[in-house]
Amino acid sequence: MTTTTDRPVQEASQTPPAPGGSPRLSDRGLAVAFISPALLLLLGMSVFPLLWALYLSFTDYSATRDVPANFIGLRNYTDILTSDQVRIRALTTLIYVVGAVTLQTVLGFAIAYLISRRTKGRGALTTLFLVPMMLSPVVVGLFWKFMLDAQFGVINSMLGSLGFGQVEWLTRQRTALFSLIVVDTWQWTPFIMLIALAGLTAVPNYLYEAASIDRASEWFRFRHITLPMVWPLLLIAVMFRAIEAFRLFDLVYILTSGGPGVSTETLSFHVYKVAFLGFNTGTASAYGILMVLVVIVLAQFYLRYLNKLKEG
Amino acid sequence: MRYAQRVRRAPGRPLRLATAAVVMAAALAACGGGDGDGGGGGGGTEAAGPKAPATIPELTDDPINLSFVWFEWPPAQALEDFANAEYTKERPNVTIEVNTVPNANWHDAMFTQFAARQTDFDIAILDSQHIGEAVTNGNILDITDFVNENIDVDAYDPYLLAAYGQYPQAETGQRDENASLYGLPLLGDTWTMIYRKDLIGDEPPETWDEMISTAQKCQDENPGVSGLAFHQANGSDAAAVTYNTVNGVYGGNLWDSEEKKIEGVINDEAGQKAMDVLVNQMKPLTAKGSGNWFIDETNAAVAQGKACIAFQWIAAAGGLLDPAQSTLGKTQDEILDKLGFATLPTQDSDVVPLGGMGMHISAYASEEDQAEALNFMKWFEQEDIQKKWAAAGGVPARTDAIQSPEFLEAGPFNQVYADSVARMRDMWNVPEYAKLIDIENTNVNAALNGAKDPEQALNDIAAEQQKVLDSAGGGGL
Amino acid sequence: MAISIDEAVPAPAQAAEDAPAGRRRGGTARRVIEVVLLVALAVAMLFPVLWMLETSIKENRDVYAVPAKFFNFDFTTIHYKDVFVGRDGGRSDLSGSFLNSVIVAGASTILATVLGVPAAWAYSRFTLKAKKDQLFFILSTRFMPPVVVVIPIFLMYRELGLIDSKLGLVLIYAAFNVPFTIWMMKGFVDEVPAEYEDAAMLDGYTRLQAFRKFTLPLLVPGIAATAVFALIFSWNEFVFAIFLTSSQEVRTAPPAIAGLIGGTTVDWGLVAASAVVFALPVLVFAFLVRKHLVAGVTLGAVRR
Repeated sequence: MTTTTDRPVQEASQTPPAPGGSPRLSDRGLAVAFISPALLLLLGMSVFPLLWALYLSFTDYSATRDVPANFIGLRNYTDILTSDQVRIRALTTLIYVVGAVTLQTVLGFAIAYLISRRTKGRGALTTLFLVPMMLSPVVVGLFWKFMLDAQFGVINSMLGSLGFGQVEWLTRQRTALFSLIVVDTWQWTPFIMLIALAGLTAVPNYLYEAASIDRASEWFRFRHITLPMVWPLLLIAVMFRAIEAFRLFDLVYILTSGGPGVSTETLSFHVYKVAFLGFNTGTASAYGILMVLVVIVLAQFYLRYLNKLKEG
Repeated sequence: MRYAQRVRRAPGRPLRLATAAVVMAAALAACGGGDGDGGGGGGGTEAAGPKAPATIPELTDDPINLSFVWFEWPPAQALEDFANAEYTKERPNVTIEVNTVPNANWHDAMFTQFAARQTDFDIAILDSQHIGEAVTNGNILDITDFVNENIDVDAYDPYLLAAYGQYPQAETGQRDENASLYGLPLLGDTWTMIYRKDLIGDEPPETWDEMISTAQKCQDENPGVSGLAFHQANGSDAAAVTYNTVNGVYGGNLWDSEEKKIEGVINDEAGQKAMDVLVNQMKPLTAKGSGNWFIDETNAAVAQGKACIAFQWIAAAGGLLDPAQSTLGKTQDEILDKLGFATLPTQDSDVVPLGGMGMHISAYASEEDQAEALNFMKWFEQEDIQKKWAAAGGVPARTDAIQSPEFLEAGPFNQVYADSVARMRDMWNVPEYAKLIDIENTNVNAALNGAKDPEQALNDIAAEQQKVLDSAGGGGL
Repeated sequence: MAISIDEAVPAPAQAAEDAPAGRRRGGTARRVIEVVLLVALAVAMLFPVLWMLETSIKENRDVYAVPAKFFNFDFTTIHYKDVFVGRDGGRSDLSGSFLNSVIVAGASTILATVLGVPAAWAYSRFTLKAKKDQLFFILSTRFMPPVVVVIPIFLMYRELGLIDSKLGLVLIYAAFNVPFTIWMMKGFVDEVPAEYEDAAMLDGYTRLQAFRKFTLPLLVPGIAATAVFALIFSWNEFVFAIFLTSSQEVRTAPPAIAGLIGGTTVDWGLVAASAVVFALPVLVFAFLVRKHLVAGVTLGAVRR
């Protein structure tokens, strides 16, 4: 595992000044010159828009109407936080995030574990498993919409030859959300698998050998050697996926467009409707800010844990 | 004012583009420029938009591109081909381009550009219900004076002229001579009933109830074939138009436009009856998993021989006659032996949905392009051109063209359109249209797919739509 | 160090060989179960991809066949032709979108690399005020929901005239890729000992020259890997593309492919073929950077 401590930096600063100049000053200049363009881009494209959204979130501004924005205080926020509609979407999003992330963690870890126990063909096997993760959500959404079609989709066709009736994958409340979870799981199980595999690799062999001498049970080895070594990495993978799943938009847009009714509308999808159907830019901005807050909290956990991992 | 602003802003653009690479400073400056810097014309009050001149300004002889925006479907290609073949006979320096976007993205694509106050199209092909939103925001030109000067208004069924151009909306089915006009008809449309002559006989059912029992009988007699196929999706205006149609047939109303009342109107007794018929009598006759069907899926069901009776927009039904996409026959005649097209059955009332779209000139197009657009519209609305458009697969709006043999013989469903004109009813074309339609779409879709009790769904539609109308213009979710 | 897939291998198998014979029989049964499970999972994961490939070479009437035809269908390449050749025999709209995707993804990747690599080097080498906070701030911008970001970006672009322009897409994609580039590249820079540069500076080179002449060449493989990941992100991106662009001249492939459904008829053969064509470059690229996948998919945060 790489240590990304600041050791090289300290060494660099201890270096005696090279002849012919004051490197300390030019170092500083160089650092500024090298870092500021990237930071400026981020300030311009990420921070500034966010601040703008923050400002708009306190107004009744609409991007299409030719009326100046009026300051309305916290009304947008109270509207959103007290809205039943938003509560429904939040619940949908929660079920989706928990369902999808749980499923892909279990499956991903299982596959990684199975692969790690094979001696031949591991490389090829892993590469094959990774294919879904590399595809665009658009392509994945279309693939699955096609396969899940109740009338001529291949899934129902196969179920049919096994003697099952047609399942309405995308048009029933429960199945539609389930389908969304399945498709996301299909695409992102490889992600968990990849990271779990990296964790499994890091378990030193001598630990297993020692356990073997002690005649430790298979379960004991898994519980006390494998899992503790893999757990930190797995947790990072899970948090990463949770953040991504929380932001989900494309798959819903293509697979169900929120239906039936609004039963698969995630928060992201709802924000889109507020912003681009109603053009209630102020409300949508407040909505977005609240979502960003949730993501920031999640991301903080992610980053803090990462930090601990790096230092540990 | 609008022109002046454009002139002022135009030279700034390349400069800004360059600055954009450094972004931060430019972005801040632009912000200082203010959010209210709309540009657009007019004061932003009700029904105010920049006005087009009464007479067509002088046209350029330089090569010029006249671009439309529409959604992806066969009439878009037909329009591009037709206009490039015919209009260029009069104006050889003009190239017509019909840009298309996915249907689901149609409203968003046009209105995000309007919101950007910069459009890559000169003529927006707006749905009739979009007019309110576009007019209120000053996105399209007021062409009242131009129409009075250049268009023979008596040649039209007044309601058609009103439906695709007038704002405030014509509720009564009559054109309001005092209201302003913002567009002219491009393509007329309504629903047709498509029925399998080989399965239910040559005579189409005449009442809605009869239609349902016929479909039931047909489904029972023909395993693997569903009784009905119609639009149920929650995107665009799919499920909403379906409910509105049944609502009309059973004598219901969508709203009381004078009082701006929806609550208690759409969900009155007739409205509830319509919802009950749709969910409890019609939906059970559709194919499993058809709850997200729209135009293409309904067409596929008919072409694959999987539906006894289907409802479809006339302008989208052309593909059904294509043997390459159909399992019903190897030639068009063979297909027509099996497929019949009829006007919608009636019940307590004889209302049919108004579809189709008008041409509306973007307020953000260049002056040159706007002049060319006006000239195109004048040209397009002439009698002989309308007949040619009919022969090329379009649906005209002029009465003389609708009644002409060119139109009536161009497609098996054109007579249906001609017979339906007097029965058409539109939705609300208020600025809040997009929100209203989304509420109705999602609730009807939920009712159709068992995600909501139908009566509850209808009451929710009424309550939520009323809330949107009441808070007109301001915020909300 | 970054790991390659082939290295991702613990070897508990040897330990099992020491087990008594009785347990070994159980071990064989277990091994069989494991292989069967693995094969089943692999089939489940790969089936959709294979089915799409198959659909892309089927005649349309076989595409809709119920029950589905797995083997005895009529072969055609017409869908692939339709991807590139338009109705009138010229270039298709879809191929124009592919070209736009190449331009936008390429340019944004170059921009992100040019901005990100020097910054990564500086963050790795210099002591800076609140460096950790800066780095975490940079990474956190990457976590914002695109649907949320697109609202103020839309307003900003409206003022700048960047709506519906390739430059607009390039800038926003670059902004999303810079955090990733910095984090990923910082890891690579950390692996190059700073002593190289110090030695060069003792020889009279300035620090900038030392970076260019000695460190940069060593970073090239890392830069390539990082750039490929940025390229994949830009290539697949959908949300910004659909809300910030509208015209055929600018539209990238993801919204164009999504637009293939929702007309009056759906040509699933064409959808399948364009999906395959669109996915191919990504798969090739992903294969090229397989050694750095773990770092790549965690925004460079996890590297072992």
